[in-house]
Amino acid sequence: MASSAAAAAARRLLLLRHRHGHLLPKRHLSSSSAADSLDDGGGGGGRVKIFDRDLKRRHRDRAAWAMREADGFVDAVADNLLDRLEDCRKAFPSALCLGGSAGAVRRLLRGRGGIEKLIMMDMSADMVRKWRESENATDDGPETHFVVCDEEFLPIKESSQDLIISCLGLHWTNDLPGAMIQCRLALKPDGLFLAAILGGETLKELRIACTVAQMEREGGISPRMSPLAQVRDAGNLLTRAGFTLPGVDVDSYTVKYNSALELVEHLRAMGETNALFQRNPVLKRDTALATAAIYQSMFGLEDGSIPATFQVIYMTGWREHPSQQKAKRRGSATISFSDIQKQFSPSEN
Amino acid sequence: MRRTAALLSSHGGAGGRSIPQALAAVLVCPLSKKPLRYCEASGSLVSDAVGVSFPVVDGIPCLVPKDGRLLDDHQEKSEQDSSTGDSSG
Repeated sequence: MASSAAAAAARRLLLLRHRHGHLLPKRHLSSSSAADSLDDGGGGGGRVKIFDRDLKRRHRDRAAWAMREADGFVDAVADNLLDRLEDCRKAFPSALCLGGSAGAVRRLLRGRGGIEKLIMMDMSADMVRKWRESENATDDGPETHFVVCDEEFLPIKESSQDLIISCLGLHWTNDLPGAMIQCRLALKPDGLFLAAILGGETLKELRIACTVAQMEREGGISPRMSPLAQVRDAGNLLTRAGFTLPGVDVDSYTVKYNSALELVEHLRAMGETNALFQRNPVLKRDTALATAAIYQSMFGLEDGSIPATFQVIYMTGWREHPSQQKAKRRGSATISFSDIQKQFSPSEN
Repeated sequence: MRRTAALLSSHGGAGGRSIPQALAAVLVCPLSKKPLRYCEASGSLVSDAVGVSFPVVDGIPCLVPKDGRLLDDHQEKSEQDSSTGDSSG
């Protein structure tokens, strides 16, 4: 009995290892040379596609006109991200601002980081046009240029930027490590990469309410929310993309809404609605209403409002430069730790 | 890259539709990461490495791979000829 269980376990392990061996090289290919293998225009056949980028593009087109002038949550995240620039003594003359909430970044920049030239880019042409209109209206701050492009295919010359900021945009990329590698390559040596992405705890209340409502009304569940990066992944992402001095920190924001419908309105205005390939295109009216009711009853506060959690992961990384501090090679120490302890411990006993 | 920048700057003052030089200097083809060339005839950015042209709409270059248009060889050749003629003249 025991031996058969062990054999089954071994087989499973083998299978797992086999699958790993299969997966790894393919993933490697997609992340390191995504750019080279895309001649066929189809976007690389072997790559795993999770998000429908075309749909996301349309979401962002919609968000361009649904957007509020100033969004409390987005502004808080953008401000927190830009705050990090004040911690650096270095100035960043040329900067690239990737999609997501780049509008808020531009508005809240207020001369931080010594940025002289700013390039703002997004997938959605409408969004970019909207930014340009608001830029023309304010007419202060750095010289700004606009490009429509996809974060997964960054059209930026190698070693040309001092700073790359991405505020709440990168969590919709299919190949996040690949996108980050492209960012690193676009940075000059000793250039800074700053990113804020939504983490796995985001909208957990809505996730639960959706699941319960779908179980109740439809007898099964379909993915209504996108998978998000976990905090523990973020550090790995940075090192895997080859950034030095990686830093990750997490912030949780709770936003209160009058009802679940208002929450969904807000998500639409941010362009953060579901863009999974495996999504169910049909949402029944009574399931939606049940979700709202369950949300209210499970998480509603005394004053009738409902809270929604947004977990934001902030990532900081630098492109390698000889001036940066570095850990010494493993095994290069010449003094034993026990000797050090002896040296510092009070003489005897 | 230098060639692209030079080409673009020579068109810089021509019309409002072309791209500012500061921007042109850092843009490359999103697929091959090779330099782009501004084609005045079609008002688009051409990547010779993969033979794709990307539109410039309202002064904003649109470099999403899906928006690119494949060029057939003949057309590409003729565009190249005309643009080199421009830069020398």
